Amino acid sequence: MLRYFRRQTAEKGVIFWASLLLFIGVLILFSASKGVLAKEGIFLKQCLWIIIATIAGVFIKKIDYRDFQRIAPLLYFIISLLLIAVLFLGSAGASRWIRLGIFNLQPSEFAKLITVITLAAYLAEKDIKRFPVLIVSLFIVGIPFLLVLKQPNLGTAFIFIVIFFAIIYEAGATRRQIITLFMLGLLSSPFMWFIMRPYQRERILTFLNPMRDPLGKGYNLIQSIITIGSGGLFGKGFLRGTQTKLAFLPEYHTDFIFCAFAEEFGFIGVIVLLGIYFMFFKSIVEVIYYTRERFARLLATGILVMFIAHVVINTGMTMGLFPVVGIPLPFISYGGSSLMVSLISVVIVANIKENTIMF
Amino acid sequence: MEGEKRLFINLTKLFFTVIILRCFYLQVIRYPYYRNLSNRNCIRTIETGIPRGVIYDRNMRPLAQDAPALHLVFVPYDLENPEKEAEILSGIISMDKQEILRKFKKKYINPFDRVYIKRQLTKEEVSLIEENMPVLPGVFVQEGLIRDYILGKNTCHLLGYTGEISEEQLRVLKEKGYKQGDFVGQDGIEKVYDDYLKGIPGGIQVEVDALGHQRRIMGRKYASPGNNVVLTIDQTIQEIVSEELGDRRGCIAVMDPRNGQILAMVSRPGFEPNNIREYLNRDGHPFLNRAIKGMYSPGSVFKIITEITALETGVIGEYDRVECTGAIEVADRVFHCWKEEGHGWVDINLALPYSCNIFFGTIGMRVGVAKMLEFASMFGLGVITGIDLPGEKQGYLPDKREIDPLNLSIGQGPILVTPLQLLSLVSTVANGGNIWKPYIVKEIISPDGKKIKEFSPELKKFVYISEETMEILKRGLKNVVMFGTGSRARLDKIEVAGKTGTVQRAAEELGLGTHGFFACYAPADSPKIAMVVFLDNASSSEAAGIAGKALKRILIPELNDSTRAETEELENVEIF
Repeated sequence: MLRYFRRQTAEKGVIFWASLLLFIGVLILFSASKGVLAKEGIFLKQCLWIIIATIAGVFIKKIDYRDFQRIAPLLYFIISLLLIAVLFLGSAGASRWIRLGIFNLQPSEFAKLITVITLAAYLAEKDIKRFPVLIVSLFIVGIPFLLVLKQPNLGTAFIFIVIFFAIIYEAGATRRQIITLFMLGLLSSPFMWFIMRPYQRERILTFLNPMRDPLGKGYNLIQSIITIGSGGLFGKGFLRGTQTKLAFLPEYHTDFIFCAFAEEFGFIGVIVLLGIYFMFFKSIVEVIYYTRERFARLLATGILVMFIAHVVINTGMTMGLFPVVGIPLPFISYGGSSLMVSLISVVIVANIKENTIMF
Repeated sequence: MEGEKRLFINLTKLFFTVIILRCFYLQVIRYPYYRNLSNRNCIRTIETGIPRGVIYDRNMRPLAQDAPALHLVFVPYDLENPEKEAEILSGIISMDKQEILRKFKKKYINPFDRVYIKRQLTKEEVSLIEENMPVLPGVFVQEGLIRDYILGKNTCHLLGYTGEISEEQLRVLKEKGYKQGDFVGQDGIEKVYDDYLKGIPGGIQVEVDALGHQRRIMGRKYASPGNNVVLTIDQTIQEIVSEELGDRRGCIAVMDPRNGQILAMVSRPGFEPNNIREYLNRDGHPFLNRAIKGMYSPGSVFKIITEITALETGVIGEYDRVECTGAIEVADRVFHCWKEEGHGWVDINLALPYSCNIFFGTIGMRVGVAKMLEFASMFGLGVITGIDLPGEKQGYLPDKREIDPLNLSIGQGPILVTPLQLLSLVSTVANGGNIWKPYIVKEIISPDGKKIKEFSPELKKFVYISEETMEILKRGLKNVVMFGTGSRARLDKIEVAGKTGTVQRAAEELGLGTHGFFACYAPADSPKIAMVVFLDNASSSEAAGIAGKALKRILIPELNDSTRAETEELENVEIF
């Protein structure tokens, strides 16, 4: 039976798994919107975003993914400008958003995908083993990395590092190159401590000891763990979560949405959700495996690793395995920019798959 | 190839395993514990308030500082019977039952956050509440802070006060970390320097029992105080002028004419900074800082400008005389001097001390409105002085078509100034033409004593006036006090120079009295202090009397401890 199930699911493409995740996301957001804060608006807004993103996806589906290789420099240029703009125009506090009417655009979300495209496009034609190529690759990731770090958005900056290593690895970087870069990064991390803003340091210290700041991030983490733990094996049931409904967790609909899920669907639910994510990842790996084109392979790898890193860091931080950073859970967290990028990425992967079969 | 693809999948497997194991631990093994915590909703955050820095006077004597206090708070979620509890509370604290109930029933974003009912409970209130604790679930007495203003009412306008953040303020200040219920500077120095004074809030997270009582502290964050602000204000002078002004409606401001440092500023009526509510509906505008926000006609103080204009433009010379018969007729209007029988033939050296309206009216007509307004604006009338207090008014300089020269020359009609502008005017005369920007904050010091910011005197501009004019003017101002209208400010040992101004109010016929101004500086030959006294509904000679008494206490040492040391030094110098 397991074998049957496997065969059935293996045939399903990346779009199937993504849709399933999206459905779960809508369900849990619906539940979250019923809380004391009565954020009814977020549910409708997210639905609207899904429609917009789907329409965008249909159009992008028509574009041959190879075209991205050509327009990569243009996209890269635009997003760099937007990232600079957000530093000046961004809404105060952490400057991450550009306001567009009722919606807020978060350029850093788009920057992740565009960096993947650009790096893949560049390395598709260059040999990473050559030193100058490695340096240029470093620059391609370095610019958005620093701009995002300046916002400051520690989590997204970290995603850039992961993406960089994954793509150069896939492009055939030597073990020595990777280890050297890794060590260099590790050595420079103490310096990072000094350029961090006080609140970022505070977050890291709070991660190490949540009780350090029981009023701020520590409070979130404690509540987040209680919320997950109180879900138990089977969960409290759909729409019956109490922790999230009573707004113990201020950000339960965005970065902490996993808690709402774990509270209502329990341990079993978590295993199923992670299982779906796993199948989703596998369907992307499948595409990477079959494609013969170097650009497609690098592109899909970058997208894959981007998704994996998001899921692992987001779920990990809600249960105290990682520091609390602003990383959304793909397809599930509330947020238009993140959703848009996730759907476009999926469409690109599906596009690669179709073109591969035609070979 | 196969192996390489496996890497990402294997890494994912590894991470997911860790996450699932962690979830297993939290959701299966520790489930009873978290279930229990969640069921009872028993984690509470208790904040202990935002500590603020100390406000010091120029000699590091505190004017405002935090003091411990007990507040009455409640947790909306923990209330059991709001009606009954409000009833009980209204009997203990002097607060209406409906008002308490309104607070109880309001929708709160987080029903577990503590909300203040009343701050600063008295000892009796605390013991009564403690007694009733069993029937007041969800209501607590909480340790917190209150702002202690050492001089109370005497510095209320200067320092301002702190108060619960309003909804409009919250919208703006949210990004600075303020929350509902936080205290924020609402006026004066507390408001302008709020960013510096505000510290970092502290608090604890506790596990509570079914009644909401604390059982176990889960985490603690210590509060840290904000920065200290050192003022240019001298506590002694502030107290002296406050005492001399007494309960009269008006204001006094004192400045060092050599650098623009404000030494004292008091306005009456005032309010108790820790008991705002009681003053909200009182008449006499207790929250109005008359020194910077009150706008009045300058009256005869404006004759300083008229005299400078006339002498500088050469319209009259020092000994040109005008006959005052008590009244003159211009067009078909009769213009009176304040002295009905007239001053006789006077030149400028007598006209200023006697404040002769006919003399100044006559020369005013000769120089014309435009010139006088030009000099007035040169001396900074009609624009804000730029003092570091909120809400300063700029007064009003009329257009030249709006006012006739007779009225303008004696400071009547549609021309308005703030007392601070007149203080700045006499200071400029005192120091020979420098317009210093008045300021109140000297420096800002971090809690560990490091200097964060220092404010130095700022010269706004220099007004050039010929030496001859200056000499005539200064002599005149001395004579105002020596034998003229300001003689009540005369002191035995120190020469004072000043000018009175009595302002007829538009509705004098209706029985309203006059406003009295006295703007002065002393010692006349090497001015160290400039002062303006404004009295509502009183004469300028009363104002001069108050100024005299205050100057005596400030400048003549034996009456006053803080200046004694300085004088002893001077005496020693004389001995050698």
